[in-house]
Amino acid sequence: MQKSKKIVILGHFGVGKTSLIRRFVKNSFSDKYKVTIGVHISKKVVGFGSGETISMILWDLEGTDDIRMIRNPYLLGTHGAFFVFDVNRPSTFQNIQEDLAVLSKKMPEVPLLIIGNKVDLVNQDDLNILLKENDISFDFLTSAKTGEWVEDAFLQMATLLKDA
Amino acid sequence: MDEKDRLEIIKDILFTDDREYIEKISERIALLEKTVNEKERLSSKVDPIIENQLEEFTKSIPTTLGPTITETLREQIRTQRDEVVDALFPILGKMIKKYIAQEMKALSEKIDSQFDFISKWKIRLKALFSGKKKKELLLQQLASAKIEQVLLIEKDSGILKASYSKTKTIDEEMVSGMLTAIKSFVEDAFNQQNQSLELIEYELYQIHLQSFVTHYMAVVISGPYGLKSKNRLQDLIFDFYNRYMAMNVDLVVDFPVLEKKTKKADKRTIERELASSFGNAKI
Ligand SMILES: Nc1nc2c(ncn2[C@@H]2O[C@H](COP(=O)(O)OP(=O)(O)OP(=O)(O)O)[C@@H](O)[C@H]2O)c(=O)[nH]1
Ligand SMILES: [Mg+2]
Repeated sequence: MQKSKKIVILGHFGVGKTSLIRRFVKNSFSDKYKVTIGVHISKKVVGFGSGETISMILWDLEGTDDIRMIRNPYLLGTHGAFFVFDVNRPSTFQNIQEDLAVLSKKMPEVPLLIIGNKVDLVNQDDLNILLKENDISFDFLTSAKTGEWVEDAFLQMATLLKDA
Repeated sequence: MDEKDRLEIIKDILFTDDREYIEKISERIALLEKTVNEKERLSSKVDPIIENQLEEFTKSIPTTLGPTITETLREQIRTQRDEVVDALFPILGKMIKKYIAQEMKALSEKIDSQFDFISKWKIRLKALFSGKKKKELLLQQLASAKIEQVLLIEKDSGILKASYSKTKTIDEEMVSGMLTAIKSFVEDAFNQQNQSLELIEYELYQIHLQSFVTHYMAVVISGPYGLKSKNRLQDLIFDFYNRYMAMNVDLVVDFPVLEKKTKKADKRTIERELASSFGNAKI
């Protein structure tokens, strides 16, 4: 039987939430920036070696600089969440600890993966230093543009949710 | 014109070059219309054969002409919708632009569902041979509200639990998510904790929403949806609720601990119930 899971993608404005989903679902990318208003829903079915599949219903929420402002009903019944920041814009990860604290309060016990996106724009060594200095933890460093680590991040989420 | 001639005409219709397909069909239909008007008395003899041919016609469209036409048109409209509309803008003005944009969208959706496309031609041809006016037939079809689709959706997550639908054209899981997002937004924005969104109008459709404790039901309706239909639909929904949902704990109780212990109503059974409750129901 196919399971369906609701996954929300959160983060500040313009960090690449929509682009990451687009890369994962359609394997494409666009440089144009179209602000997401409200919610955009997409879906991808992921298969596992066992023959099992899960249907990932991806809720692409509009970005907000204040994570507390997210409409709570959008988060109800969430099975998994991504928090995305832009490695190129410190303002999107400076307050990550507080942001994450707010999220885990809003969605207790929901698995959450942290993604630093747009790595194609920065020097990897500088980035590592920057993240370390600021004590920023993350699960994946991705680029929606080149595609690196995007699928891995979503598949990791799928795996986390498979047996939940 | 004898039976053989008519078969020839139908054959011609089927194998016309697809680019000029619609034009040629209209031409031919005009011609047929003339002939038929002149020899209306023939129609009773021909009807059965035509029915037969229509079956064939309907069956073969998807495999022969259908894919090419729908693909080309759909692609054009999808990729160039803005261009097409923009080109017309200076002449037509803003109002019309919006109208056209909507029409284009409706058209591309129509094309997406081949069923619609075919049934339209079916009406046309039927009208030709049965002597009834096309308008009458169309009106007959439009006169009543119809249940197109029923979705049973988990309230919080928007996950689709089960569905019934006449024709599968859209991704129901995504629609369920979207409806839930809209519902959440409206109920939150207007701060209506105890009231819930009841009706969404979307182009030619009305979507009736009925909330229960853990789930809600979305019924997509086409045609004129008035108070009478609404009452009938509500009866159907509550009937379904009493007959089936109320017996399945996980569908009606909002209690997390229960979730792990209770056996969940399985999708296939629910879908069977949905089909039997809503499938042939008149509203
Ligand atoms: N170079 C580069 N640009 C990216 C990447 N991901 C997204 N962008 C660009 O960043 C801009 C914003 O991307 P979106 O995906 O729309 O961002 P978002 O988080 O959905 O934005 P909101 O919906 O407003 O919250 C767009 O111009 C994208 O093309 C990336 O990995 N590399
Ligand atoms: Mg976006």
